[in-house]
Amino acid sequence: MSQDEIKKEEILEVFPTVAKTIADALGCDVDDVKLNVSLIEGLDAESIDFLDLVFRLERSFKLKIPRGKIVEDSRGDLSEAEFEQKGIVTPAGMERLRTFLSEVPADRFSTPMKAADIPRLFTAETFCKLVIRARRAGASAA
Amino acid sequence: MQGHFSAFSLVDRITELEAGKRAKGYFEVPAHLAGFPVSFAAEAGGQLAAWASMVQLDFNLRPVAGMASDLRFGIPVRPGQRLDLETTINSLDSEAVRYSARASINGESVIELDYSVGPMLPMEGFDSPQAMRERFELICGEGAPGGRFTDVPKHDLDIVELVPNERLCAILRVPKEALFFNDHFPRRPVFPGTMLLDAQIAVALKLAAGSRPWAPGTTLAASLVPDMKMRAFVPPGETVELQIDFESDSGENRMMFKTAARVRGKRVGVGLLEIEGRIGL
Repeated sequence: MSQDEIKKEEILEVFPTVAKTIADALGCDVDDVKLNVSLIEGLDAESIDFLDLVFRLERSFKLKIPRGKIVEDSRGDLSEAEFEQKGIVTPAGMERLRTFLSEVPADRFSTPMKAADIPRLFTAETFCKLVIRARRAGASAA
Repeated sequence: MQGHFSAFSLVDRITELEAGKRAKGYFEVPAHLAGFPVSFAAEAGGQLAAWASMVQLDFNLRPVAGMASDLRFGIPVRPGQRLDLETTINSLDSEAVRYSARASINGESVIELDYSVGPMLPMEGFDSPQAMRERFELICGEGAPGGRFTDVPKHDLDIVELVPNERLCAILRVPKEALFFNDHFPRRPVFPGTMLLDAQIAVALKLAAGSRPWAPGTTLAASLVPDMKMRAFVPPGETVELQIDFESDSGENRMMFKTAARVRGKRVGVGLLEIEGRIGL
């Protein structure tokens, strides 16, 4: 299994805790946190909620998530200039995003996409994957 | 600008500093004040943490608003007392500062803030970096002249619904103009989250008072904020809908409430607040 490959059962294992953490961070009902819900469009999340959420996930899962980790991982091997130009995600960047955020339905990747709008794509599953990757990184660093 | 570095500045002097790591300082609560809300003690601790983090980032960024967890209230503050402050910075980068803070009077705890996160934003949008540097030099040296902090205006609050043991809804009218806006912040006035907390405590006390047959001699007070978050800025002149919902009995003589603040339907603040009945105070 490659480092990027994440199995559904891994996601389902962390999802209950991630969902509760999202509900705590957003002040919403945990039943409203579905795996595929968009945090901004479906749960009214603000940018500060993402910061809060990452800190809460660190505490819930007792792991370290480097700041800006989702955006950094979104870029993959692409340089910043290859990923975005003047705030707009490049075609190569869009291709990379679609792969990285495979949980997001294709019709939500509108073009042109502003880099600042990438968080609009994030779902609860995106944060499950963030936790799983951070766990793996922690395990490989230990 | 009148009120800058006085109308909402709650650190008079920094006595110990390890930039980006920890700090100690104090604030002399002026004797002429009518009162000093406990939430302002949390503000003072947060401001000390802000100084300790801003200097590390050369005053290019500053923490604004944010989140707090496990804020515990101890003894009340009386005008004329000296509030000793200390903070530990747990992490700091260009995105956020994480810190804990404590305020005490003669060694007795006023507030203990276990964990707080302040998002970092460009200083230029809120205040003059150079003015902040000069202020920092002053409070790290001889200290700011005392007694310049004045009472903030009383909350313009109307309770619109009160259902004992269930909920309270109120309207908070943020003043269009107030001296504290010149200090918080000169280039972008923002209603302080700790003032919002103070208003929430005021109405939660009313809900708690009508929800239990409290024993004679019981004084109700805020005892714990397990969670609080400011999700958006509240500008001057805004109308804020406050909602306090009973959450649970959190212990003997303790009630936990869920708090929400909305501006035009948008949640700008969410949290939990515990009210405790104290006998013999």
